[in-house]
Amino acid sequence: MPPIIEMQNLTVRLGNRIILDRLNGALSGRCIGLLGPNGSGKSTLINTLLGFYQPVAGAARIFGKEVRGNLRELRAQIGYMPESDAFIADMSGVRFVRYMAELSGLPKSEAMERAHEAFFYVGLGEARYRKVGTYSLGMKQLAKLAQAIAHGPRLVLLDEPTNGLDPEARQRMLQLVREIRDTGEVCVLISSHLLRDVEECCDQVLILKEGRIAAICNLEEERKANLKFLELEVTEGNGFLESVRGLGCECASFGAGRVRVILPDNIDLRQIYRVAAEHDVQIRRMNYRRDTLEDIFLKAMSGPQAAAAPQGSANGSL
Amino acid sequence: MAVYRRTYKAYKGSLTPAWSRFTVLSRYGLQTLFSSRPFTAYTVLCFIPFLLGLGYIYLVHSAAIQTLLDIRLGNAMPGTVNNVWFFSFLGWEVIMGFIAAAWVGPGMITKDFANHSVQLYLSRPLSRAEYLLGKVSVLAALLSCTTWIPALVLFFIKAELYGHGWLWENLWMVGSIILSCLLWIAVVALISMAVAVWVRWRIAATALMLGVFFLLPALGAVISLILRTQWGHVINFPMMITIVWTHLFRLTAVNRHNAGVDIVPLWAAWASLLSVCTFCVWLLDRKLRAREVERA
Repeated sequence: MPPIIEMQNLTVRLGNRIILDRLNGALSGRCIGLLGPNGSGKSTLINTLLGFYQPVAGAARIFGKEVRGNLRELRAQIGYMPESDAFIADMSGVRFVRYMAELSGLPKSEAMERAHEAFFYVGLGEARYRKVGTYSLGMKQLAKLAQAIAHGPRLVLLDEPTNGLDPEARQRMLQLVREIRDTGEVCVLISSHLLRDVEECCDQVLILKEGRIAAICNLEEERKANLKFLELEVTEGNGFLESVRGLGCECASFGAGRVRVILPDNIDLRQIYRVAAEHDVQIRRMNYRRDTLEDIFLKAMSGPQAAAAPQGSANGSL
Repeated sequence: MAVYRRTYKAYKGSLTPAWSRFTVLSRYGLQTLFSSRPFTAYTVLCFIPFLLGLGYIYLVHSAAIQTLLDIRLGNAMPGTVNNVWFFSFLGWEVIMGFIAAAWVGPGMITKDFANHSVQLYLSRPLSRAEYLLGKVSVLAALLSCTTWIPALVLFFIKAELYGHGWLWENLWMVGSIILSCLLWIAVVALISMAVAVWVRWRIAATALMLGVFFLLPALGAVISLILRTQWGHVINFPMMITIVWTHLFRLTAVNRHNAGVDIVPLWAAWASLLSVCTFCVWLLDRKLRAREVERA
């Protein structure tokens, strides 16, 4: 099965500025996060994938098909939720979504049916006959999501979907994204500068910096790897640390019972409990390291860019 | 993705043919236009010349009605419904149509820019040409319904009432009616869309459109006066259209002289109109491309 998105030496120039500079990589996650500071080229990459901008060199492929030359076919399979307010203010919500679904090729009756369904799905069922221009910011974001999914795309591109949302609306939006992802019928690409949003939804992350790829990493793998980092808070007990070290773990004590442990692959968590029981030590708190993405992001921002790196070395660029 | 289940489900049904997508824009555009009561009322008004023409044709062919109204028009009157009559009739219709086009034309595109929705349209399987075709077709349908279609209806009613081979003698007029109106519709629709894409503000676009049709002729007259030539009039697009029309309707030299349109040759009028259409297409292509996605 081909990657969902593939970039081969992709270079995009707008005016005299190179916005995307020789991007190489393949993205195959069910939900892909596109991270980077403002101006790093996230929206430009999305616009290039939609065929709005033509690359001056290289190519982008979606589902194995080159964007240039297959635009109509690919756009039929893509749902796009733009960052800016984009809607038809004097249309009712459901008519707007139906209109967009019809433009994507759905027959009238199916478009109408799915527009209603999409509105109920995003939680705007009761407001679907109101004009879009009268919606609150959160409702507009949800209406934009509804128009992006109404025609049943295989790939949904979400550009800053949680922009301007209050915490409750943000959680709702992220929950919807997770639900769409978990259906297994659609892939999602989220562009955001909010690490938390990406961390909550995505299983793969592409980090851009100044138009170049700073990192591509599989968050699932990173999470699994970070399960080996433990932060413990224990009662004082003689010989506990030495015994843990005896298992082959690296340990560091920070006083007041706070201990950090790195578990080798062959060590199971239950062995730590067993050692604690043997030394009559109570484990009062145990945390896996959680700040995975932030670490990855900060390393990517401070490290050299991996624009020309081959796909396989993407994780290694960290 | 059923309403009661509230779960997402992909669409696996059939799709409409790709070529027909622009008609969705036309359909929604027309629905939006006629959701406005003032505009609907105005469109009804546009049919007044048609109804008057219909009444006139019936009157000159019906001795019974003439007797009833106690008027005597004579046997020569049916002959007055000829090419000159249709030329004049369309002249009134296009004035009404132009007001409608100036009213709604620029707004169809400027609204999309104001709502930032151009990117939504173009992220669908819809090219820029199809987007513009969809928008232009709204105006084309509207203006067709108020110009050449009523004119053809009157033409065939006249043919039916007159009989005696009038239809075959004047069949060339069918082509003249259609071609002249399509030319006028193309010029008006393209200028309307081009100024809308260029200035992106409805009021300014409407003002600019009116300027193209009313101020440019004045400018052309000034140029002609200063340079002591007739070529300044080539930017008088209404006059250029009239020159082409007079030839399409085979108006005599006397008619043309009376209409004051024999100031530049026919080829110059065609060249002027084709140039403005080409310029509008170029402007549409250039401006719509640059703003497919608004950049912050």
